[in-house]
Amino acid sequence: MTMAEGFSNGIKPEDQERNLKMSAVVVVHGGAWAIPDDLAEASVDGVKVAAREGFSVLNTGGSALDAVEAAVRALEDNTVFNAGHGAVLNAAGEVELDAFIMDGRTLATGAVSSVKNIANPVSLARAVMEKTSHIMLTSRGANLFAESIGTATVPTDTLVTEYERKEWEKHTNYVSGVMEDFNSQWKVSAVAHDTVGAVAVDSAGNVACATSTGGIRNKMVGRVGDSPIIGSGGYADNLSGAVSCTGHGESILKVTLARLILSHIEQGKSVADSSQLSLQYMGDRVCGAGGAIVVSPSGQWAATFTSERMAWAAVDRDVLWYGLDPKERLKEPLSQ
Amino acid sequence: MLPVVVVHGGADHIPKERSEKSTLGVCSAARAGYTILQGGGSSMDAVVEAVTFLENNPSFNAGCGSVLNIKGEVEMDAIVMDGKTLGSGAVSAVRNIANPIQLARLVMDKTSHACLTAEGANRFARSMSVPEVPLESLITEYSRMRWTKNLAADANPVECQIGKMGTVGAVAVDVEGNVACATSTGGILNKMEGRVGDTPCIGSGGYADNQVGAVSTTGHGEAIMKVTLARLILFHVEQGQSVEAASDLGLAFMKSRVHGLGGVVTVDPQGRWAARFSSLQMSWAAAQKDTLHYGLYTGEHSTQSIEKPV
Repeated sequence: MTMAEGFSNGIKPEDQERNLKMSAVVVVHGGAWAIPDDLAEASVDGVKVAAREGFSVLNTGGSALDAVEAAVRALEDNTVFNAGHGAVLNAAGEVELDAFIMDGRTLATGAVSSVKNIANPVSLARAVMEKTSHIMLTSRGANLFAESIGTATVPTDTLVTEYERKEWEKHTNYVSGVMEDFNSQWKVSAVAHDTVGAVAVDSAGNVACATSTGGIRNKMVGRVGDSPIIGSGGYADNLSGAVSCTGHGESILKVTLARLILSHIEQGKSVADSSQLSLQYMGDRVCGAGGAIVVSPSGQWAATFTSERMAWAAVDRDVLWYGLDPKERLKEPLSQ
Repeated sequence: MLPVVVVHGGADHIPKERSEKSTLGVCSAARAGYTILQGGGSSMDAVVEAVTFLENNPSFNAGCGSVLNIKGEVEMDAIVMDGKTLGSGAVSAVRNIANPIQLARLVMDKTSHACLTAEGANRFARSMSVPEVPLESLITEYSRMRWTKNLAADANPVECQIGKMGTVGAVAVDVEGNVACATSTGGILNKMEGRVGDTPCIGSGGYADNQVGAVSTTGHGEAIMKVTLARLILFHVEQGQSVEAASDLGLAFMKSRVHGLGGVVTVDPQGRWAARFSSLQMSWAAAQKDTLHYGLYTGEHSTQSIEKPV
């Protein structure tokens, strides 16, 4: 049985209450998978940059919702991650993007699935939330909406990297690709990139989450994974916390991972225990590996994964924490 | 343990002139699903059969009879989930096929994915030799009339959605104790193109787990999604609530937190079941042992022998 590797800030609830000023926190992830060594440094740098972006929003009085959008935009713009720029290709050699955002205060949600030629799907998801009476738009309908609000269309070529084209040509067998990347232990194969996401709590105690992805390399046309599905790829509720998940999408869906983690928090467990229990359950019940980042309304947070690696970073009270390998927990002062 | 199938035909205000068709429809569907269970068939076969009946019945907002999107076209969503494996199959915004619930099942059985959308779902249907049907065959006079009315500049947004007879769905537990759920819909009247509601979203439109139970939901889709209603109800069952109390707790939370109304059918692996709703009405029917149970209005619970044709 795989033990989930998790890190949390370990603040005891009684200490939380003594904090007169609510502590704003942002946590980001750049995917839970067998991240190869040649992408490791760029992945860690990327999540650190995104965490700083998110925190600068919080620090200037911005909302958790603004912070997670900013952090995920930074990850979408970074070609090392499988979201927006740098997304993987489907079986037809095209890019189809999914994204999700949720506001823990009102449970307002926005999601897009299978949208094309958009650089920042997380922002489009937010527009669905704020400008329509719907929660989710898919495919051509999502693109029509983007057009109607003046969102720029970008050519597919600008979203796809040389690296991805080469990998796509090499790996036409999706099924074996999945086994190698997510669920095997101690294999250094590197075939697929992964989802990005962020969670945050602001100084008003509001939580939010956002998740964005290009899906799995060589996925069937129109395949929708966990990322844009509320309760699976993410969930946010001021009463319990915010979660963003990554890993094998179909497994995450089976156990509605984000909502499962929060149900444990609702039962009184810590963010770390809730994450570990849920990821272990996913491994035991459906043989799926992945990772999750969680933040509670009182500022407790955790970054937990059962895959070989997960690039993650968090900013909590002027300290930037980050890691990649199991048991790794590095830090540097935010001002650095 | 007594196998049971419970079916709903939508939680909504159903105009009196359509209510009889609604009751007849859910009763037929429950009988059809129960025939499968009686023959030793699986809960998955039973729920797919029941929902197929409702999709084929033009009086319901699924398959034939689906409401129209803003452009006057039909885009359908569906989900199935198997409580034994937690496997699921879903389609969203699929066009020109008669039975989205069967396509959803094919996604589960024949692919390594859980959900296909839009053109990708249709492409898959073609690859499975699922016949393409003309748009006109899915549109009824009633749905076209409602669409036209809603295009009017002074259309009342609340009245717009009344009487569309909502999403359809079913849950069942079979002789082996396996639970399953299935849900299918045409969505909401005059929705934006590509709008996806709760139905194909696992945990919202439905959820099934042999360790807990199965749920299929109907009602205001966006509200159902915000509280992941199906999964929420099963969390309550896991914590020891009865299927009825768990359903009521979930619906009450949805009403108080996000002001949404709806209905659910819920079953547990021991064959206990509930059909509950916070909306004005929900047409539902359940078949267990030799009794057909059904209702429409709050508090209504009628019964008749399963053998007697309605």
